[in-house]
Amino acid sequence: MKDDMTDDSYDFGEDDGVVPASDPRFDAWIAKAAATLNAPGAIPRAEMWSAIQAARNTAHDAQAGRVPGVLPLRRNPWRLVSVIAAALLLGVAFDRLILERVERADVASVPAASTAPTDTSDVSHLYRMVAGQTLTQAEALLTAYRAGGVAERDPATAAQMARWGRDILGSTRLLLDSPAGKDPQLRSLLLDLELVVVQIILRSGAPLDVSDRGLIDRAIEDRNLLPRIRSAVPAGPIAAGAD
Amino acid sequence: METDGTLALERAHQLADQRALVERARQGDASAHRALYDTHVDRVYRLTFRLTGIEHIARELTQDTFVRAFAALGDFRGDAAFGSWLHRIAVSVTLNELKRRKRERTRHVPLDDAMATQESRRVSDPILRQKLMAAVNALPEGCRAVFMMHDAEGYTHEEIGARLGVSSGTSKTQLARARGKLRVALAQFAEEWKP
Repeated sequence: MKDDMTDDSYDFGEDDGVVPASDPRFDAWIAKAAATLNAPGAIPRAEMWSAIQAARNTAHDAQAGRVPGVLPLRRNPWRLVSVIAAALLLGVAFDRLILERVERADVASVPAASTAPTDTSDVSHLYRMVAGQTLTQAEALLTAYRAGGVAERDPATAAQMARWGRDILGSTRLLLDSPAGKDPQLRSLLLDLELVVVQIILRSGAPLDVSDRGLIDRAIEDRNLLPRIRSAVPAGPIAAGAD
Repeated sequence: METDGTLALERAHQLADQRALVERARQGDASAHRALYDTHVDRVYRLTFRLTGIEHIARELTQDTFVRAFAALGDFRGDAAFGSWLHRIAVSVTLNELKRRKRERTRHVPLDDAMATQESRRVSDPILRQKLMAAVNALPEGCRAVFMMHDAEGYTHEEIGARLGVSSGTSKTQLARARGKLRVALAQFAEEWKP
């Protein structure tokens, strides 16, 4: 019965243990009224099944490298370059931290407590820099997507957007998996971003119809993505280095 | 007694069929995936719709539930009914979405408004209808899930317990709390239930 994907910590409210006395007349009335709350209409079974199939097929095809115009993740050279660059940046950061520790050990007059915050702030700064670059790319993708009806008509542009989206997905996954990524707001933004980018990729294999486009537009708006990305990315060009 | 025995036998057959279906789906049989979907989609969709009140979100959450469940079939150990396991994913996915929406304070009011416009034909007073929906939406997510599952969808406390991963006693307590909070919130309409 245990399911690793679920979160069992349901919010039952602060006064969790308080149980008010019941009123049978109210209980009977509310049970009738509740049956009419959010009563669903027709269930779009066929549409949902198509979407589920599409999502599963795309996942399989992407793993097998069968998506037209899109290289499989394991052979994607840009992803490899990104991973190497991220690894190098992290390597440089850790190297600096170790060197600083050695220097601190040599200089006895400098109290350790005064330099301790620098360790975490350096890694955090580096993380935010990489996150900023990813969000800038994502903002450009979403803006291009919303501006361009062209992607609906031109399969080549749609495939290009899919490639772009996959690069962003690779980076968001790395950022989400990084132990440095503890900022809950940034995590939530990256998770929402992933969902929307996946939808753009899913629907890039074929010309978009109006309802597909409506779904993506609603997802971008519901999640308030562009304003959140813009407020998360500092104004001006992204700094090239951590210093 | 004989009827009980027949029902128990039928249920055992159903469980065995489900296990066989899940096993076939695990092996990659597309028709088994479709059969599992057909069997459970209505209840999953109804539940996500009851909890969110917004059609396109209920649709996305239902899709998300099945995509996750099919991807994780290997983790399903089969010591509970597939339906319970699937509903547990659906509830978790939906409550996480509601939590996320609650965090976005700017989106909270429009969500409530949207939900208020789509319900109740039976509760005829529009002000009461609006108050009732607002009061339900103000319940803590877990409490709201129990209330909607029990009073709106007719799940038993045992079913709710299995789907939320809590005891049936917790489900009963949370239902009593939900009803108590709603009674306080709707006190000005007391003549509706006290004729």
